[in-house]
Amino acid sequence: MSNVTVRIPTPLRSMTGGADEVTVSGATVKDALDALGAKHEGVLSKVLDAKGGVRSFVNVYLGSRNIKALGGLGAELKDGDVLAIVPAVAGGK
Amino acid sequence: MTENPRYSRQALYAGIGKPGQARLAKSRAAIVGLGALGAAAADTLARAGVGTLRIIDRDILELTNLQRQILYSEQDIKDGLPKAKAAHKRLSLVNSEIEIESVVSDVTAVNIDDLLDDDFDIIVDGTDNFETRLLINDVAMKKKIPWVYCGVIGASIHSFPILPGETPCFRCYIGEAPPPGSVDTCDTAGVLGPAVLVAVGLACVDVLKILAGKTEALVHGLQMVDLWAGRHRRFGLKKDSQCPACLGQYDYLDGKGRSAEARLCGRNAVQIHPGEKATIDLKALAERLSPLGVVEPNPFLLRFRPADWPEGELTIFPDGRSIIKGTNDLSRARSVLARFLGS
Repeated sequence: MSNVTVRIPTPLRSMTGGADEVTVSGATVKDALDALGAKHEGVLSKVLDAKGGVRSFVNVYLGSRNIKALGGLGAELKDGDVLAIVPAVAGGK
Repeated sequence: MTENPRYSRQALYAGIGKPGQARLAKSRAAIVGLGALGAAAADTLARAGVGTLRIIDRDILELTNLQRQILYSEQDIKDGLPKAKAAHKRLSLVNSEIEIESVVSDVTAVNIDDLLDDDFDIIVDGTDNFETRLLINDVAMKKKIPWVYCGVIGASIHSFPILPGETPCFRCYIGEAPPPGSVDTCDTAGVLGPAVLVAVGLACVDVLKILAGKTEALVHGLQMVDLWAGRHRRFGLKKDSQCPACLGQYDYLDGKGRSAEARLCGRNAVQIHPGEKATIDLKALAERLSPLGVVEPNPFLLRFRPADWPEGELTIFPDGRSIIKGTNDLSRARSVLARFLGS
């Protein structure tokens, strides 16, 4: 198990009591997201779809690399890693 | 070649230089959407001396636009101008030496091929939704036109350049358009003027690099700024080996996605498209409607407030498109339109 920081995007902060970072532990990205979901209800469904995959318009980064390039949700974590949840931004008007 | 002193400070910058400036002058750029991002991008690129700007937007100005949409004035709202025409007027005052082509139109799968022809050197994102961006992405991939994605919400900014065939494309990034209502918009979460300016700064420096022929200077990947928190990050993007657009399958251009025929358009308003291409004689329509309420025509559109529906307002464009304000109900909007336009 590794202790990692998950960066929470603005639209999801209403579900984390306003926190922009949450510390969780887990061996993989999936573990860390599950732990985040256990701490803060409702967050997980905004990140994962019904089949348990990352939603298409959301990207999850481990450091500066997309987890898609690191084996997806199974990517392994080490202590001090930073995960960022990044939903695509639509606005412009 | 004679140098234009107007651009001397920009040409002095080594990244652009005189040859880069000369390339800008010969470039054609399309800006799709003239809200917060599009207006500031148009201003920036007009001042920078991009030779031809085609500016496209479907909306009419409202008071809530002025906080961040830097091309527009209170007078434009009083005049009932569409954004594309108000922008054209302002940009002509800013730089009379460039060509400006303004188009009042919704960009859809039906017309995007004509609006963004092969001769454009770049497409700049000034839109406010994923579906139009996926449509732009399809057309850009098909015609091999570089484009720059840019989005802003609250104080959060995202931007990255797309070079068709070289970099990951927008569809690689988001896959499918999220279901309506599943992401925040500027109407639901608000947006800060300074965030718009930073977003446009990030996007337009990429536009200048591409048009000046300095694509090697592009720094690829998603740039993300949280302006309120003072944070700037860059994330890698990955090509999706299954991406339809990269494989030459242009789903959004082929009409995938929500029907453009009738849809909610902002708060308490519905936009309706004619089923086929139409031309409406605004003058004749104004005469027909004047006994039935207040008619305010201008050269670009007609506004009508029915006497028997005081909270309602219809805006009708010469291409047959209409915006019905005062309802969120698609069928109600259709029936109002049928009553007054007989269509």
